[in-house]
Amino acid sequence: MNVHPRARDYPQSSLGEMIPDESELTAGVVIEPGKQYGFFTDTTVCIGCKACEVACKEWNNLPADNVGLTGHSYDNTGALSANTWRHVNFIEESSSKPLGGKSVRDNSQNAFQSGWLMMSDVCKHCHHAPCMEACPTGALFKTEFDTVVVQQDICNGCGYCVPACPFGVVEVSKADGKAHKCTLCYDRLKGGLEPACSKSCPTDSIQFGELSDLQARAKKRVAELHDRGVHTAYTYGAPDSPGATGDMQYLNAFFLLTDRPEAYNLPAAPTRPSNRIAPALTAGLATLAGLAVAAIALLAMPGEERRRGR
Amino acid sequence: MEGTITIVQEGRFQLSDERGVSHQFVLGRTALAETEQLRPLQSRQARVRVKYTDALGLISLVAHRIELLDPEPLEPVGA
Repeated sequence: MNVHPRARDYPQSSLGEMIPDESELTAGVVIEPGKQYGFFTDTTVCIGCKACEVACKEWNNLPADNVGLTGHSYDNTGALSANTWRHVNFIEESSSKPLGGKSVRDNSQNAFQSGWLMMSDVCKHCHHAPCMEACPTGALFKTEFDTVVVQQDICNGCGYCVPACPFGVVEVSKADGKAHKCTLCYDRLKGGLEPACSKSCPTDSIQFGELSDLQARAKKRVAELHDRGVHTAYTYGAPDSPGATGDMQYLNAFFLLTDRPEAYNLPAAPTRPSNRIAPALTAGLATLAGLAVAAIALLAMPGEERRRGR
Repeated sequence: MEGTITIVQEGRFQLSDERGVSHQFVLGRTALAETEQLRPLQSRQARVRVKYTDALGLISLVAHRIELLDPEPLEPVGA
């Protein structure tokens, strides 16, 4: 196990003060403003323990919601919401693979005991964030760490960000009437701490770091899996890959998947709604102009012709 | 409910009552307080009285009014 040399400076189990740049010890990265940070979630090593969900709720003081059983496998969280910023998907699959070939989790066990896919879903902190583009008050903004955060004192709860998000991440809370989503632990990053979810992940399925490092790490991991015979492995949200379609360019929180994006409840080709404004406006104006020309032509007709035309 | 605000995150806060039991609150949409007013209350460990209702579908309470029990001028945030 690799231990950072600086970790030897803190042998005691109880510390009197915070460790400066603690993320260097836990994630191998020093957090500095002006650099791009994100998550790389390798779903092939996720064991569905939900430590990330718990850590997120604990740190952000988020209340429990969806109390009860959903009836969907081991997933009783349901979905991302205003009070759930991490959600572990549990996907039970049969051995037939739409992508062809064998899955990384295919085995000879009975049905419903095999083919498990787990994925810890989160806000993607898009490079071109549609929620931010839709926000009329500027409550959603890009931080100095290239993450997307809702400023609670500015949000007026209009909810425009909710349908704008192609991943269904943002939700307006019924309790306080404001939009909420993952902040990528903005307060922790400012304090030199790794986000709570990635720090708590026991298998390093969620990795936090500088975006360029994470993208290189993901590329290497995909190549490694292909060498091992898992030809279905690919990145979702890395540049020039599924998830980075429709002018999205790339996602700061991206994933390594082994099945179609839809199997993980992710859109196959997310797009920026703002790109549809110009064509929609043009089509609307053209329709209006066409109707106006038709009405003028009809009204300009002499009365006799109009009656005959009838 | 009366107690001390111990944790604040955005508009969510935790209140420890006289018996040391913690209760989770969300600042309601009609609350007579703003999210940025919560952090100074936490830093000051001020004793407050919270008027609340239950939150629908959440294990949390919705705060509608927060009153200071030992009023003294609040220090500016970050001071």
